Amino acid sequence: MTHEVLIIGGGLLGCAAAWHLARAGLAPRLIEARGINAGASGQNAGSLHFQIERRFLEPGGTAHAQGGDIVRLNRLAIEEWAGLEDQLGRPLDIHMHGGLMLAENEADLALLSLKVARENELGLPTQLLSGAEARDLVPRLAPHICGAAWLAQEGHANPRILADAFADAAKSSGASIETQSRLLDLRRDGDHWQATIEQSGQIATARARHVILATGHWTARIAARMGLNIPLYLAPLMMSVTDRTAPFLPYLIQHVGKRLSMKQTDDGNMVIGGGWASAPQKMADGLPDLDAPPHLVPDNLRANLAVAAGVMPCLRGRSLIRSWTGMTCISADQLPIVGEVPAAPGLHVAAGGSMFTLGPLLARMLARSIIERAMPEEIALFSAARFAHLNAFVVPS
Amino acid sequence: MSRIVDGVTRPAPITVEIDGAMIPAHPGETLAAAMVATEIYRMRDDRSGAPRGLLCNMGTCSECFVWIAMEDGWRRRRACLTPVEDGLRIATHEVPL
Repeated sequence: MTHEVLIIGGGLLGCAAAWHLARAGLAPRLIEARGINAGASGQNAGSLHFQIERRFLEPGGTAHAQGGDIVRLNRLAIEEWAGLEDQLGRPLDIHMHGGLMLAENEADLALLSLKVARENELGLPTQLLSGAEARDLVPRLAPHICGAAWLAQEGHANPRILADAFADAAKSSGASIETQSRLLDLRRDGDHWQATIEQSGQIATARARHVILATGHWTARIAARMGLNIPLYLAPLMMSVTDRTAPFLPYLIQHVGKRLSMKQTDDGNMVIGGGWASAPQKMADGLPDLDAPPHLVPDNLRANLAVAAGVMPCLRGRSLIRSWTGMTCISADQLPIVGEVPAAPGLHVAAGGSMFTLGPLLARMLARSIIERAMPEEIALFSAARFAHLNAFVVPS
Repeated sequence: MSRIVDGVTRPAPITVEIDGAMIPAHPGETLAAAMVATEIYRMRDDRSGAPRGLLCNMGTCSECFVWIAMEDGWRRRRACLTPVEDGLRIATHEVPL
């Protein structure tokens, strides 16, 4: 079978890209080794964060040099999320009532002030609030919180339903979506790619002009099997949820100096995360097992909860009902890698950072780059071409 | 459900309070075991008010969450992972402490 576009991976990115490509009449085929939304797209904590992230403000971070492009992309992502329920024609549990990035001390506050000034200069309407103003919004914040950056468009969405909504919409528009369908091999064949796919014990081949590797933390290893270097590194994380409590927090909470994300679901549960590491299981050769769920790291769980309860003391009265782990990946410069790989024409990737918040927008942009045969200029910063030097000695196979 | 009696020796019973009723339990049992031995199967209600109870009995399904009175207030705990203690106060629905 020959397809215009073959998408590997049924997460948020792959399903959203399938929808955009299907609507453009390209009838993409999507294969997913497990089930729709089985990976990081369904495991993350669902934050919609559009302020410049804490990790970019750390030493070596790229906020200063590339802040403009990041903010520009975040502004587009805000529009993308705000329009999603209308576009997909169904409720998606998207809440954009605002977000607070907290400061607990003078050093935090200094960093936050710099960040807000930079964001405002770049056109992102963040506002610096005093501790008292932050507590007016969220009275249960700890009394020592001395300031916060407020962005009215931040919030959260339900990671459990979004990819499926895109997959359904894609199918309605003519995409073919197959689960339990695993990529065994991918190689260049003239001006096409040839994929070997295993489905229910049957092995078949398919040809496609374009292949999208929407494969999250598996991307680097799949590329490596083709002799390609894509600098994506494993980020095994953990998230937690408490029992329900009466609604009091309609906002996303983050911390400028510590790893924290916190939000309250419709049901009243508190979801707590923020980028704390879990530990991958290992294969016989010592390399991380990409298919197995990572183990929880108790010390990191305690530290994560301590940060949360530090800014929101009422959490000490809640009970943790569940913690879970998931794996994503981060690129060498912490920015997503999106688009065609220069050493492998027709092979497209999309992974490497903030892929829930940016996913719907990047999927649209990636689809556009295939439909229009040109990279949208908005995502030039994220182009895979910036790492082309890593494939200088690759013989395309 | 009832306890196996023949050929089993248990420590002397203690008492736990569930929704105001005093029920006997033996040290070493889980709260879930003591509850089902007393024919209390409704351990919590879901948000629609439907009864939920012990399903996996190994801490995975979270269906047996009850409220336990602690020093700092009510806490949710899985009945199947909680050992009984004399004087433990349990509620199967949210009540003021």
